[in-house]
Amino acid sequence: MSAFWILSLNSWMQTPVGFEVVNGKIMATDWLAILFNPSFPYRFTHMLMASGLTASFVVAGVSAWQVVKKVDSKATHHALKTALVAAAILIPIQIYVGDLHGLNTLKHQPAKIAAMEGVWKTEKGAPIILFAWPDKETKSNLYAIEIPKIASLILTHDPDGEIKGLNEFEGKHPPVAPVFWAFRIMVGMGMLMLLLSWFGVYLLRKRTVNTMPRLYLIALSAMAFSGWIATVAGWYVTEIGRQPYIVYGVITAAETAAKHAPAMIGLTLTAYLALYIFLLISYVLVVKNLSEKPTRGQPPKLPTAPIQKIDAGFASVDSSSRAETAGD
Amino acid sequence: METVLPLIFMGIMGLAMLIYVILDGYDLGVGILLHFAPDDHKDMMVASIGPFWDANETWLVLGVGIMLVAFPAAHGVVLSGLYLPVAIMLLGLMIRGVSFDFRTKAHDARKPFWNRMFAIGSVVAATSQGWMLGSYVSGFRDDWWTWAFNAVIALTVPAAYVALGAGWLIMKGEGELQARAVVWARKAVLPFALGISVVSIATPLISETIYKKWFHLPGFFALLPIPLVTAAAFMALWHVTGKKSIIDAGYGWIAFASTVLVLILATLGLAYSIYPYVVIDRLNVWEAASATSSLVILLVGTLITLPAIIGYTIFVYRIFWGKAQELTYGA
Repeated sequence: MSAFWILSLNSWMQTPVGFEVVNGKIMATDWLAILFNPSFPYRFTHMLMASGLTASFVVAGVSAWQVVKKVDSKATHHALKTALVAAAILIPIQIYVGDLHGLNTLKHQPAKIAAMEGVWKTEKGAPIILFAWPDKETKSNLYAIEIPKIASLILTHDPDGEIKGLNEFEGKHPPVAPVFWAFRIMVGMGMLMLLLSWFGVYLLRKRTVNTMPRLYLIALSAMAFSGWIATVAGWYVTEIGRQPYIVYGVITAAETAAKHAPAMIGLTLTAYLALYIFLLISYVLVVKNLSEKPTRGQPPKLPTAPIQKIDAGFASVDSSSRAETAGD
Repeated sequence: METVLPLIFMGIMGLAMLIYVILDGYDLGVGILLHFAPDDHKDMMVASIGPFWDANETWLVLGVGIMLVAFPAAHGVVLSGLYLPVAIMLLGLMIRGVSFDFRTKAHDARKPFWNRMFAIGSVVAATSQGWMLGSYVSGFRDDWWTWAFNAVIALTVPAAYVALGAGWLIMKGEGELQARAVVWARKAVLPFALGISVVSIATPLISETIYKKWFHLPGFFALLPIPLVTAAAFMALWHVTGKKSIIDAGYGWIAFASTVLVLILATLGLAYSIYPYVVIDRLNVWEAASATSSLVILLVGTLITLPAIIGYTIFVYRIFWGKAQELTYGA
């Protein structure tokens, strides 16, 4: 329900409909059209899938880490399998939904697509750019590695289709480099997710969790936070990609900004960033700390240990299984 | 509709803010007091607010949310005027919220650190809220008198929260913790009362608009019950925290109740002072309101949301009624 309203609101800011401007004020005329605006269904689905993938990779990554650290239990194995299967099912659907979302963006926000693909001038049979350094001075891509015609094929489903370039949106297009890069990070993460989850499911056909290659488990642990990276990168694409507008085509961000001294903005932004970096590091350490504790439900493997020790194991397990409830 | 709807939203917004101050007030107060508590009481103190604290913050979101959608013009003025204290408050609330979870989930050796962060976050949030209130009442002016005024409120609000928090712990705690809470409450009474008095006297001095509303006859006498009942509530608070026999007889809740009464009266006084402005001397309720058609939609939403929030609030307080029990958070 949260996602529904948040994405409905954000989507309206991307593809505003159902309003009229009276004396410089935006007045709603059709609430249903506003709620279910053109980009909403795509963004909503794309985001829910992203959340599912994020959760899957956290669970898979943390479980894999527990196996590597040998603090795993039956529950860890179940969690790992479930998360891998969920990810393997979600990721191809997500890629398909992402493609639909991209086509929708092409229709409503062609400037964003041009920035994402690094298309400076309108061209037919545009290549897909795997890597490049978009240079705003020369308005071209330096060091580009391209595959011909693929961008046109993906976006127009015709290898010679025309893609509008940034030259058609002079002064009305977003900064290219951040959108271009964020898009590649998101897609790159998606591809890694596809590779890792499908390979994992393939492995599970013949092996148990314990006999999975150590290297694979470590790779999976490294991907524990990939969902967040992809999600944040995706939001950068869509939010920076909407610039210079805050409500696309209606109001620019500059028009709505409060008149604070630049130093004030700089100060608070730095404070927020510093706090977030600190919390991010703490968070990763806390997750690591939690994951390395013996999992509940089964005592750590102590086949030859004396009885008291197993008891102690149970005791600590017991206290850890009590009440997650109130914290969240 | 055009006249009444903005007033309804003003009322809901004021109510949300009052409930926020009372509810998040006591848990922020407990957070501040955490710094003064011995280690063996800290878990119990956090457990006493555990089931409630984040639901309490919902009221702030509701209040500010209503301001954004129902009074967009005021939202722009108020939040621009309060930019820095709001930013600092958010930093405090973030640190606090995270510490709440991390203090038991992080490595044991880090627990004292997160306890300290929890107290720091609480005091930062409370102080910046006080500054925000001062700045709002004085109309976002920038001069020495206004800053002094803001500073007094910035110190009064944490004192009020500590009194609330201590009152809460008297109700929720037992034995040594309860005895300690009584001492804390008593220590908070003087700064709290002094703060409220200074603010009450200074507010009409700093704003001519407010002065005119209070000091005219016969209105002054009609308003007299507000300061008088406030004084009585303070006396009750002082009395209860001075007599162990009253606490032992089960009337410890009077400390919390009288603090709440002071805050309700202060809010009433403030609401009377400011009405019909949303931003004093600049924007009144009707000037700041959204289009009537938007307000109608909002009213429908609010009529669904508000009872839901009130419902689960009552529900949660009923479940966790009585003395707090030791809780562990997946430690």
